[in-house]
Amino acid sequence: MTALFVALLAAAAGAFVILVVGIRQRRLVNQHLDRIANRVSGVVAPASKSPVAAVERLEMVLEASDAERQLRGTERRYEAALEAIDMGVVVVDESENVVFSNTSASWYREGRHSEAVIAQKIDELIHSAVRGERVEQSVALYGPPRRVLFVSAIPILTGGELVGAIALIHDVTEVEQSNAVRRDFVANISHELRTPIGAVSLLAETLIGEHDPEVIDSLANRLLVEAGRLTSTVKDLLELSQIEHSGDSEFSMVAVQGVVGGAHDRVRAAASQRGVVINVEAPEGDLQVRGDRRQLTSAVFNLLDNAVKFSNPGGGSVSVGIREVHGQVEVEVADGGIGIPRQDLDRIFERFYRVDRGRSRMTGGTGLGLSMVRTIVANHRGRVSVESTEGEGAKFTMELPLVPEASEDDPPGEDGEDTAQTSAAPAAPGNITAPATPGNITATASAAPVAPGEDTAPAAPGVGTAQAPAAPAAPGKSTVPGEDKA
Amino acid sequence: MTEELRKTYHEELESVREAIVRMAGVVGETIPRGTEAFLSGDLAEAQRIIEDDDAIDAMSVELEERCYQLLALQQPMASDLRAITTALWMNAEIERSGDLMANIAQATRRVYGSSIGPRIRGLIAQMSEEAARLMRLAIDSYAEGNSGLAVALDDIDDRLDDLHLDAIGAIFESNREQAFDLQVGVQLALVCRFYERIGDHAVNMGERVRYMVDGWLPEHSGALRAKARLAEFGVVPDET
Repeated sequence: MTALFVALLAAAAGAFVILVVGIRQRRLVNQHLDRIANRVSGVVAPASKSPVAAVERLEMVLEASDAERQLRGTERRYEAALEAIDMGVVVVDESENVVFSNTSASWYREGRHSEAVIAQKIDELIHSAVRGERVEQSVALYGPPRRVLFVSAIPILTGGELVGAIALIHDVTEVEQSNAVRRDFVANISHELRTPIGAVSLLAETLIGEHDPEVIDSLANRLLVEAGRLTSTVKDLLELSQIEHSGDSEFSMVAVQGVVGGAHDRVRAAASQRGVVINVEAPEGDLQVRGDRRQLTSAVFNLLDNAVKFSNPGGGSVSVGIREVHGQVEVEVADGGIGIPRQDLDRIFERFYRVDRGRSRMTGGTGLGLSMVRTIVANHRGRVSVESTEGEGAKFTMELPLVPEASEDDPPGEDGEDTAQTSAAPAAPGNITAPATPGNITATASAAPVAPGEDTAPAAPGVGTAQAPAAPAAPGKSTVPGEDKA
Repeated sequence: MTEELRKTYHEELESVREAIVRMAGVVGETIPRGTEAFLSGDLAEAQRIIEDDDAIDAMSVELEERCYQLLALQQPMASDLRAITTALWMNAEIERSGDLMANIAQATRRVYGSSIGPRIRGLIAQMSEEAARLMRLAIDSYAEGNSGLAVALDDIDDRLDDLHLDAIGAIFESNREQAFDLQVGVQLALVCRFYERIGDHAVNMGERVRYMVDGWLPEHSGALRAKARLAEFGVVPDET
């Protein structure tokens, strides 16, 4: 009995101790929960004495922390999204402190030179944006390199309250350039056509009612000159569009020395008339390329013709160099003439682009020569570049992929018209992968004799632009295994 | 409290540096811009350049004010003090370079309508590029605290000086051939001189950067040279 009583007493005492200890521990637990709740924002739950309530609180705290983790994940995702955009992004808070800037805008803080100018502009626009005004401006930078950037700053509002601003920096250089090309092309072509047409109608008008045979004679002669000018412009335009749409179906092996010789013959008379000497420097053995002899001769002729035209009359000299450089044939045409102003260098290959319109009628020409050169060279998977300092002359360099001599003996290469025919079909799918080259598309459509070497077309992405590097292809050697056996 | 004050002080120093770089960016852009306007006879653009120079002047005045405030309120010492005095000097050199481009913009009007031969045009274009390059290098040396680059500026400037001489020669030649009026010739010579001066300002900036980094001043080597010269004549200056 006593034992039972003692046991009960002990149990009661134990329960009391547990209760006391429990209360203390619960208080401790609550303190911990408070601390956690403080760290995880947004949890407002009253402390309670019941252990169930403590657990409930714990659950709330955990939920809140989950929500916060999710929020951080979302934030990271948004940051990554802003990072992925192809433009500079700068985000500021309402006091213009930068809270985020992506890698494209990494120069925003440290930028120097032109970039410092843009950074200044961004700050100005942001200053307006955090005052609720949406602003944008395009900024032309002279660099070098020349660039046009479009900067906009937009206020950020949440629930009608302004919390900051975002600035976007977009490089619109290429857009601006192609706009300029299009705009100027329309203006220039109307100039080139309208001038002789105007002259023709004016001369014809004067002819009406004119009886003096001498005057009639001179007017008619000038009519002929103007008509001739119109004819050559139209002829060049047609030729240019023809070259653009011609494929490489007519290509054969061509020795570059022969091409330069042909062009030299055509320009010789004009050169001696102006007293300009042309020196040609060529290596012994023939350097071969695959191409259209007529087109290539026309390209070199245009370069030579320009060099002669813009050389100093009497005593000027033009030097032509042919050489092999890294599997390319380089044809260099250099003169010591008036040269080309720097700001025009990028644009002279455009159709009808004139450095000096006033001079164009004196020197003649249609304004299409260099764009023809560019188109022909692109057709041949080569590139053409120019260097010049005004007053010191200009140097044009044409690069064409060289065909190694060994491949001349390679049967599927040049002569094998039959081989070419059989391989035309399998070659076509390969060509489709390079749709950038108009020539290739033509080749596919007409299923014309395409040498197996053409299978290397995919190796030349972006052929068709003058600046694209030529494919290191070796036409004549079937570089795509298995194609021939198809 | 003091820590906070120091932080804003260093932030302020940093923002002075940034302002210098930005002002130099604006002036550096004006060099090719002004040259293009000059060579193409673009009077409207020339006018804009002249007006934009006012903004550069305003930037310069504001920057100077900030430097004086820092000097007066913070009483900086050692490298901080050198940084602020260097900023003051750089400010003046950059502002002056901007003025020179405004002068070239004014010359655009004065030579308007006269045909300038390709040789002189080419030399002007090259001088402009060289001047812009020197300016960029000077700012690079400042932003990086690169005294090696700063020292090299003097030699790099030689090319601009050579171009300047060539251009003057070409102007004389054109004048002999009576390609343009004497007045135009004088304007062209002045324009060439302006580019050459921008190069000189860049070299000056390099000297200031050396001072900022190493505490070196051009006058120091000048003083040493004077001392050596005197010693040659047997004069020993008082070491008081």
